[in-house]
Amino acid sequence: MSNMVKGDRVVKCLARKGGFTLSFFSMASLCEVLIDTDNEALATELGLIAANEAWRIEDKYSRYDSKSLCSEINSKAGQVVEIDEETFNLFEFASQCYEMSEGTFDITSGILRKVWHFDGSDNVPSEKSVEAALQLVGWDKVSYSANSFLMKKGMEIDFGGLGKEYAVDRAVLLISQRSNAPFLVNYGGDLAVHGTRINDEPWQVGIEHPSFDASQSTLVTLRTGAVATSGDANRFLLKDNHRYSHILDVVTGWPVKNPPNSITVAAPQCIQAGFLATLALIQGADAENFLKEQNILHWSIR
Amino acid sequence: MQLKAKKTNLKAMLTTASCALLGSTANVSAQETWQFDTAIMHYAEVDRVSATEAIIAGTKKFNNDEVLSLKLTIDALTGASPNGATAQPTPQTFTRPSGNGQYNVKAGDTPLDDTFHDTRVQLTGQWTQPLLKDYTVSVGGNFSKEYDYMSASLNGNVARDFNKKNTTLSAGMAYAYDVIEPEGGIPKPLSEMVVGDSNDPNFNDDFNKTRIASDESKSTIDLLFGVTQVINRQMIVQLNYSYSTVSGYMTDPFKIISSVNKNGESQAYLYENRPDERTKHAFFGQTKYHFDSGILDASYRYMTDDWQIDSHTFDFRYLIPFTNGHFIEPHFRLYTQSAAEFYQPFIAQDEAKPNFVSADYRIGELDTYTVGLKYGMPLGDGNNLSFRLEYYHQTPKDNGTQAIGVLKEVELYEQVDAIIAQVTYSF
Amino acid sequence: MLIINRYKVLVVLSLVCSVVGMSGCSSLGVEPWERDLLAKKEMALTSAPIDASLDDHIYFSKEATSGGRSFGGGGCGCN
Repeated sequence: MSNMVKGDRVVKCLARKGGFTLSFFSMASLCEVLIDTDNEALATELGLIAANEAWRIEDKYSRYDSKSLCSEINSKAGQVVEIDEETFNLFEFASQCYEMSEGTFDITSGILRKVWHFDGSDNVPSEKSVEAALQLVGWDKVSYSANSFLMKKGMEIDFGGLGKEYAVDRAVLLISQRSNAPFLVNYGGDLAVHGTRINDEPWQVGIEHPSFDASQSTLVTLRTGAVATSGDANRFLLKDNHRYSHILDVVTGWPVKNPPNSITVAAPQCIQAGFLATLALIQGADAENFLKEQNILHWSIR
Repeated sequence: MQLKAKKTNLKAMLTTASCALLGSTANVSAQETWQFDTAIMHYAEVDRVSATEAIIAGTKKFNNDEVLSLKLTIDALTGASPNGATAQPTPQTFTRPSGNGQYNVKAGDTPLDDTFHDTRVQLTGQWTQPLLKDYTVSVGGNFSKEYDYMSASLNGNVARDFNKKNTTLSAGMAYAYDVIEPEGGIPKPLSEMVVGDSNDPNFNDDFNKTRIASDESKSTIDLLFGVTQVINRQMIVQLNYSYSTVSGYMTDPFKIISSVNKNGESQAYLYENRPDERTKHAFFGQTKYHFDSGILDASYRYMTDDWQIDSHTFDFRYLIPFTNGHFIEPHFRLYTQSAAEFYQPFIAQDEAKPNFVSADYRIGELDTYTVGLKYGMPLGDGNNLSFRLEYYHQTPKDNGTQAIGVLKEVELYEQVDAIIAQVTYSF
Repeated sequence: MLIINRYKVLVVLSLVCSVVGMSGCSSLGVEPWERDLLAKKEMALTSAPIDASLDDHIYFSKEATSGGRSFGGGGCGCN
């Protein structure tokens, strides 16, 4: 086992049967990269590549980091902000998500957390405060070009719904360009695999139940593609015997009714799986049917 | 709010959207790596020629869809090949092509010349890149050298995609220049082979009288036009037309033809002679079809030229993958050709000497078939190993020439069996 | 003269076929997201180029025909 230190960010390397596991923290999750190789130096190099990219994305797009580009954009709401090609591409993708979800997947919806605090209490906000918040939500209120971005003053963008999945897909891209070794990237349950393992063995991943009830965990067998999970994670409000899930319908401003506790979706890329999982959750009671109709492979826990 | 029953295909739109995001975001310089293929092949005919060939090829894909490929081939040939003379019920003696020595052939045996021990080295390079939207260009060169032969060629090709890359049209041209410098020089066409004692002081003079030059050359121009069409999710088809014109020395300086008397007995061996122009047309069609797990590759080629040779080639391969990543691929190839108009298995002594004549069975009437099997496996880390074993059978046929006298008692069209074995390692 | 007639017919025939084929071509094909099978390296028209070049060399040396799929073989003194 060896450590490589980068500031207070550390990448740990552990040997396992058939290869190595590199782990580090990023985007509030335990991130792991499992590589099938007997070359420890290569495994640590690849782990560092993934970690550095994850930290780069975190530093650029985390709204919790006051020095990030995301925070800069949010603090300059109402003014034109200069953006780069990567940010433009992310906005393009977010636009597509907005269209495909008919407005329910919206990266400007972060503002709603100001009125909704899912702490298990009965602090359900008033209609008025939700209405007021909704004035500052809506991708249709945003305009951008290849190098500039403008939104109404008071609005906020939040890459949270895309960031981790994007980081997973970027890690897959960078590692696969550097090495032929088969690998799995798992950032807190959002994961993707690449390459053919010896004997074409699949990767086996356990998807945890939100309440960490081991008996309810799902075992997923993956040979190719990605998997992302969206879920309840025990964040809710309880008032008058009604449980308000933390999944908000961005159009009405109110929680979605009867979403599954957790939805796991498989797709060729993590960012696709992440979007579909979130979109399915928003369908509430209809989540599973929605995915079935679109022929999307999924698992749900209610 | 519930999404109404969506008619739009979410998967499809998502694929396009994420391709745009992950394809174009390359703000970290991508590591461009080489992909290598190495192979060793052994070809062995029963009692005749054997060849061993080794290849190492490397391909490097650059960021903007540019591709460089380089290949080094080394092959070594040993064994004996037919010299064109017919078998006889009596032993025969021939002079080696270099003029240095003789060799004997037993009664009843097809005369084989075992002088050829040659090693050849070949270098190939090809550069492909996109040009403007929907166009791809490719240029390449080839250089090959062995003891008595040199070949250099250049090729260029343009392809254009249509219809969401479902249709591709391509046009290409190649030019090759070959020089042959055989050890004994170029023989005078249709002159008699001097057979005697090479230690005799007069032998060299006599031998040299049958020589007209030390080397010869030929030029080849090839044109290739093709269309590739995606039929559906499982099937793709290609159709090609190629035109080839060769000008220069195409005679095989090592091959002779038996001049026989009324009783079929050899009286002399004459050096063959082929025309110095040849124009060929070929039509080629191929289809690949992906079944549930297996993949079929079927192709047909028709060739016709102004030497009167027509040929048909059928090739079938079926790839069967296993769940552990290994695969097996049976292969079957069938080939048939008609004889060149100047092909004859022998010449009658009192026949008027034709301008062009050759007894080389490879331009006579010929049927061949190949049956083979390939087995491949992934080795992890993206490396692959495969093995190929094939059986190749050649059946030279009677082109209608009546065997006369003793020639009726010998095998004029001896069949040939060969084994092909190959190991390939890619990493 | 017979030679010219024979191949002239063939050339015309195949040109006609390809024109007819091409007009129907716009209805053939797949959307970019339906290329999952076609993108496999086993589905490439020449999926084993090393095997193909070794075979081309053998058949060029032993038979009277070369090329068709790509530029004609050659480059060696074997035929």
